[in-house]
Amino acid sequence: MSIPLAEYEVIVGSSTLAQLRRLGERLAGLRVVHVSSTREMGGVAEKLEWMVPHLRDVGVDASWEVVHGDPLFFDITKAINNGLQGESVDLSKADWRIYQDVNEMNAGRLRPLLEDADIVVIHNPQPAGLLNFCPNRKGRWIWRAHIDISRQFRAVGRVFRTFVENYDASVFSMAEFAQPLPHPQFLIPPSIDPLSEKNRDLDPAELSSIRAEFGLDPDRPLIVQIARFDRFKDPMGVIKAYRLVRKATHVQLVLAGAGATNDLEGKAVLKDVLAAAAGDPDIHVLLLPMDAHKTINALQRLADIILRKSTREGFGLTVAEGMWKGKPVIGGDAGGIRLQVVNYHTGFLVCTPEGAAHRIRYLLHHRERISEMGGVAREFVRSNFLVTRQLRECLTLFFAIRSGEKSRTFQV
Amino acid sequence: MKTFEVMDCALLMRMSGLAPAMNLRELRDRIAACGENVLYHHFCETTLRPTFDDPDYRNDFAAWTRLYLRDRVLAERLGIIDPYAFGTIEELRDAVLDIIDDRLGEVAMIPWVRLGDGFLFKEAITVIFDTGERIRDPRELAPAILRMTDGSIYYHFVEALRRPPVGKDDFSVWLLGAGDVYGQLIRSLGAIDFYFYSLARLRKEISLALTIAEVA
Repeated sequence: MSIPLAEYEVIVGSSTLAQLRRLGERLAGLRVVHVSSTREMGGVAEKLEWMVPHLRDVGVDASWEVVHGDPLFFDITKAINNGLQGESVDLSKADWRIYQDVNEMNAGRLRPLLEDADIVVIHNPQPAGLLNFCPNRKGRWIWRAHIDISRQFRAVGRVFRTFVENYDASVFSMAEFAQPLPHPQFLIPPSIDPLSEKNRDLDPAELSSIRAEFGLDPDRPLIVQIARFDRFKDPMGVIKAYRLVRKATHVQLVLAGAGATNDLEGKAVLKDVLAAAAGDPDIHVLLLPMDAHKTINALQRLADIILRKSTREGFGLTVAEGMWKGKPVIGGDAGGIRLQVVNYHTGFLVCTPEGAAHRIRYLLHHRERISEMGGVAREFVRSNFLVTRQLRECLTLFFAIRSGEKSRTFQV
Repeated sequence: MKTFEVMDCALLMRMSGLAPAMNLRELRDRIAACGENVLYHHFCETTLRPTFDDPDYRNDFAAWTRLYLRDRVLAERLGIIDPYAFGTIEELRDAVLDIIDDRLGEVAMIPWVRLGDGFLFKEAITVIFDTGERIRDPRELAPAILRMTDGSIYYHFVEALRRPPVGKDDFSVWLLGAGDVYGQLIRSLGAIDFYFYSLARLRKEISLALTIAEVA
């Protein structure tokens, strides 16, 4: 269920909302169609669930469509996704043919809407092939990449490029994710929704209930890492850091992640983590359902310190989620964590379990720094990583793409 | 005296198309070749894009040199550059190149960075729009400034320095329209050393300067 934009005023202030409405007024009636692969779980769906209603709220005629396909199509697009993110995958000509055919079939259904739209935003690789089947398109088409394609598997990247190079622009979450393409490449970092179930304020009773549910001791420090069970999130490194801290301080550790049932590698990592944690009642390894937003929210709020000790990372938006709850974050010096954790101000960047342990001990011995850094972290998120900032940049993108303006500044 | 039209702006970053710089010599060569908008972005637009309010260095070249090239000497020399002290972006470019060339002459090895840590050259597009708000009396200016967005502060006080009349912020230009009456206010605005302020802090400083000058 979408939240009216007006409800964000208490968080970001009236001038920020007025700015969004003024930008929206100048785009009133602009027909924008977003196309993604699903309305169900996943980062893109979560984003469009708030983005489309907010765009409509400020005057843009926004809508959201999804492509249909059989399981084989989605297996192929998952392989394309993985290949674009660097995994060596085997995609045959027949697979690419199926990718095109399903996009063509969807174009048959969506063509009138897409060809008539002022702006079409295609999210991720699954629907990217639509453009080639909309030859009479009137508007501008944007490919929105939510994934890191900077180190793509060449065989996949080479073919996929032919599907996106004719777009009018592309958008990436970070400069590091971008690839050279023959059109403008814009940068819009992701954001968190402060009013969503994952980030809204929780009352003390809700926190106590979740603390009790997982048997957490309210009188001892709690370290929390929220991340799926993946080697790049370094859960074993987190356990090592915990054990180093534990020699001096009786801390508790929560390693919590949502798991997909078909994630074989994730299962293997989880097995290793459970084995490493066995026999220690103060290590809580939690495999949560994909929709355990309130539980994640509560665990972040119950934490004294939040970890995100990744060795490789996309954007790592749980860092911003933790900071929004007023907690310092000790993060791996990788990917988007670098944009969120400002060393010594909103947390610490570390490279090793030893580094993480060192910073945890420092903070536990300087409790006042936890609240100081947490306060700075929350304000940093308020200014930079909330949905209102992303909405503003999205509106700015529409101006830029609609006008085709190449100068540095232009008035609307 | 004309009314003051409050404008606002919103910035969107984009890639410049230049290859990343993986060492100091590449940084030097890319800075020599890049467009003015790229230099302007990395020196002047850093406060308007998503950023930390209190960074070690306000320009991206100094920050990257410190964090990834790990050359503290060069970072300090680049970090103190005030881009608004130069009449044109080309003069700024020359000054930056002089500093880097000097450093290249001092170091025994060209400093380099790991894959993934290269300097990524960006630029930005800024959309400017009228808020519809108007200020009719200079006494309304200080409280109005406190209500302005970061975009408005940037547009009227920072970005304005590059528009004719070059080197003047919009508030001062407006006050000048009343002749010598507001000389004290204009001097107060001119005395703000804004380059190291976040836009939120700058908003407070401008309002405070105007309030103090009015009282005086």
